[in-house]
Amino acid sequence: MTQLAPRPAPGAPRDWHFPSFERRTVAGGRVISAHLPGRPLAVTSLVFDAGAALEPRGHEGVAEIVARALSEGAAGRDAYEFGVAGERLGAGWRASTDWDSLRAGFEVPVSELPAATQLLADAVRDATFSDDALDRVLDERIDEISIERSQPAVLAAEALGASLFAPTSRYAAPDGGTQSSLDALGREDIRRYRDARLRMETATLLLVGDLSGVDVDALGATVFDGWEGAASGGTPPDVEPRTGRRTVVVDRPGSVQSVVMVGHDGPSRSVEDYVAMTTMALVLGGMFSSRLNMKIREEKGYAYGAFGGFDARKHGGIFVARASVQSEVTIPALADIVAEIERVHADGLLAEELEQARAYRAGVFPVNFAGVAPVASGLGDIASHGFPDDHFDRLRARILDVTLDEVNQAARSRLRPADFVTVIVGDAAGFVDDLPGLGLGEVEIVRDGL
Amino acid sequence: MLTVVPPFVSYPFATRTLDNGLQVIVSEDRLAPVVAVNIWYDVGSRHETPGHTGFAHLFEHLMFQGSANVARGEHFSTVNAAGGTLNGTTWCDRTNYYETVPSHHLATMLWLEADRMGGLLDALDQDNLDNQRDVVKNEKRQTRDNQPYGSWLDRLHELSYPEGHPYHHSTIGSMADLDAASLDDARSFYATWYGPDNAVLSIVGDVDTEEAFGLAEQYFAGIAAKGSYPAPPPTDISPRLAGEVRATVTDRVPVSRAFVAYRTAPFGTTEYDVMQVAATILGGGRGSRLYKSLVLDQQLLQPSDAIVESWPFVGGATLTIADLPVREGVSVETLEAAYHAEVERLADGITEEELDRAKALLTSQWLHHMASVDGRADTFSEYATLLGDPALVNEALPRLLRVTAQDVLRVASEVMAPDNRVVLTFLPAADGEEAAA
Repeated sequence: MTQLAPRPAPGAPRDWHFPSFERRTVAGGRVISAHLPGRPLAVTSLVFDAGAALEPRGHEGVAEIVARALSEGAAGRDAYEFGVAGERLGAGWRASTDWDSLRAGFEVPVSELPAATQLLADAVRDATFSDDALDRVLDERIDEISIERSQPAVLAAEALGASLFAPTSRYAAPDGGTQSSLDALGREDIRRYRDARLRMETATLLLVGDLSGVDVDALGATVFDGWEGAASGGTPPDVEPRTGRRTVVVDRPGSVQSVVMVGHDGPSRSVEDYVAMTTMALVLGGMFSSRLNMKIREEKGYAYGAFGGFDARKHGGIFVARASVQSEVTIPALADIVAEIERVHADGLLAEELEQARAYRAGVFPVNFAGVAPVASGLGDIASHGFPDDHFDRLRARILDVTLDEVNQAARSRLRPADFVTVIVGDAAGFVDDLPGLGLGEVEIVRDGL
Repeated sequence: MLTVVPPFVSYPFATRTLDNGLQVIVSEDRLAPVVAVNIWYDVGSRHETPGHTGFAHLFEHLMFQGSANVARGEHFSTVNAAGGTLNGTTWCDRTNYYETVPSHHLATMLWLEADRMGGLLDALDQDNLDNQRDVVKNEKRQTRDNQPYGSWLDRLHELSYPEGHPYHHSTIGSMADLDAASLDDARSFYATWYGPDNAVLSIVGDVDTEEAFGLAEQYFAGIAAKGSYPAPPPTDISPRLAGEVRATVTDRVPVSRAFVAYRTAPFGTTEYDVMQVAATILGGGRGSRLYKSLVLDQQLLQPSDAIVESWPFVGGATLTIADLPVREGVSVETLEAAYHAEVERLADGITEEELDRAKALLTSQWLHHMASVDGRADTFSEYATLLGDPALVNEALPRLLRVTAQDVLRVASEVMAPDNRVVLTFLPAADGEEAAA
């Protein structure tokens, strides 16, 4: 028979701070270095203020094409030779974009940091951007979008973005662009974006790992020495949110589930009540034991999971709640999702819910920043948003401080049920007749193009 | 140029077995104030009996529904309130459960795991079963039935292993079997497989080794051993197919895509190690042969950093799988022919440079995986459960680095032979055409 020891109390926490780091200027360029002793791998990467939000309208997706083309040949090496040169160091190349930044670099055994940093410098300063390489990268990306759009969740996110913002806003199109925007993109457009936004003044070099014996100044000089030319462009997007309720149905006959999203535009990362707002959203839909997941998954069994939260970008953002629900329960599941958001908006949270969210969010910092790559990613956020050195420690302290009044105020002001945009990707015949009964505004039905 | 191998290739650990048979592995890593707790039970979908496919995975869900001293929902909320992350997964050979938390919450995590290892039945009821059955069926719909190419994995299992073999069915199981699962099935599955003497517990991170063993003893020693377990269904099978197997599926997919799978000797064998190196030379990274030939030069294949990979199955034979989605406008026949030609070209030999590149990449990937406490804990549990010896963790990288060019040529020519492959091809349905069920 089982004899269990009584439930233990937690021990005393070990002190934790975000790893200390140094900022310096080398050859005119910004360098951030964090010494994490004992780690076999190190990160050398660059963060550029060149994210998708800064793309000119009509050129959506160009930043991602630039990121991919960086490794397609540089400094006398072709695409294959560049790949081999990094991989022989054991270095995995990563380049990506999001709304706010373009990031590129390597994770590499620390002994190979100088060689990898030289390759990184070659890629960002001396990439060939040949006609052939640009044409291929563009075509590959267009094909990739057609594969992505065959997934109902991707179609839903695209329809939601297009419905939340006026067509003139950059935020109306996906951050990675569309097939039509990429079809229209010329080689010169790609080179021009690179030349305008990948410059020393938009760049920060991140060096993270066991830096004992590493000459940070020399690595900084490898990247920045003699890098001439000024940045241009970089106009933040118009946000132009739309108001009022409406619903878009993307008809996908034969679907056994409906992807349901309910959202509205949201605040940028810099708002005063960011911590209150996002802690509130954690309880609504950001943890396993959130209201949405407990209702949709653990009580009703309608879906594998249900989530919700804010995507707070540098220049704007969105709120969205989402689930992929069994087709037969599309209407009741949607009604439950709407009701859960409205309930938090109207009544706020319980004190114990806030306590749990604070404990999780503040407690998980040591777990989230335990490794080299996550620390580099955090430093990238500091560089991208211009946060102060003690950003993560202050953020953690603020989370522990946030009060029930503050989160309930955020629930009232930041959740806006009157402006719900609903998107459903599924077999419309099964639910469209019952949609008007939910009061989610005018219903528009479009056919999935696939 | 020499292959880059940093000096940190061995991971310290200690192991003890409690009186009830629970094997405990501890690996100290004081770099960050976090600890990973990871339990592998030696039961997966290959232990399922006919009519009960998908049950091991459904049962994994029930393990999160509360136990003797843990209320429904409290498992997740306790770990989250500790600032921890958690999950569980099921595959053919095993089921695992894990938490990563700030290290001062270690005892609570062990208590939670012990409570469900020893006391699940106190909380198990029909409501929980019915709810999680619906959740799992929706997991299947979301990841398989409502996804383009979503059936590829289930189909590869069916095509690569004969009817009656435990790998013939995939872990998610059939809707009919999930519908038929009863509370008695759950009680009996738990009573049959979930005992301390059928599990491995790994604790990795910011903890003193002796203290960790003491806590494991404190929380798990009171759980009675089961003493014996049924012999799992036999997995004996030839590590080679007797001839090429082909299948074509017309479905709602955007472009054609071929999967080529080869039967391969199981995880833990030298052949498996050699195939790791062969797969990297052929299809791992931008310097691989397939990337150069099919992505860059001929432009037939959608780019991917991992075109060829192996599953780590231990029963009889595992699979090495090439994933080949075409570029728009390319016929899948053209891509498949170009792929096979590239595989055949291996017989002409590989260079030391290619071997070095593959080993450098595999080394970094291993170091990356083992640098996180959760990755390291899962790996110790994996080697102890599947191969019977956690010390083999520290052999894994040296074994890869000992592979020679001759090994690659010999093994790849046997494994990647035309009569040892399954070719599964998806074709887009024309407008209005009936999609596959």
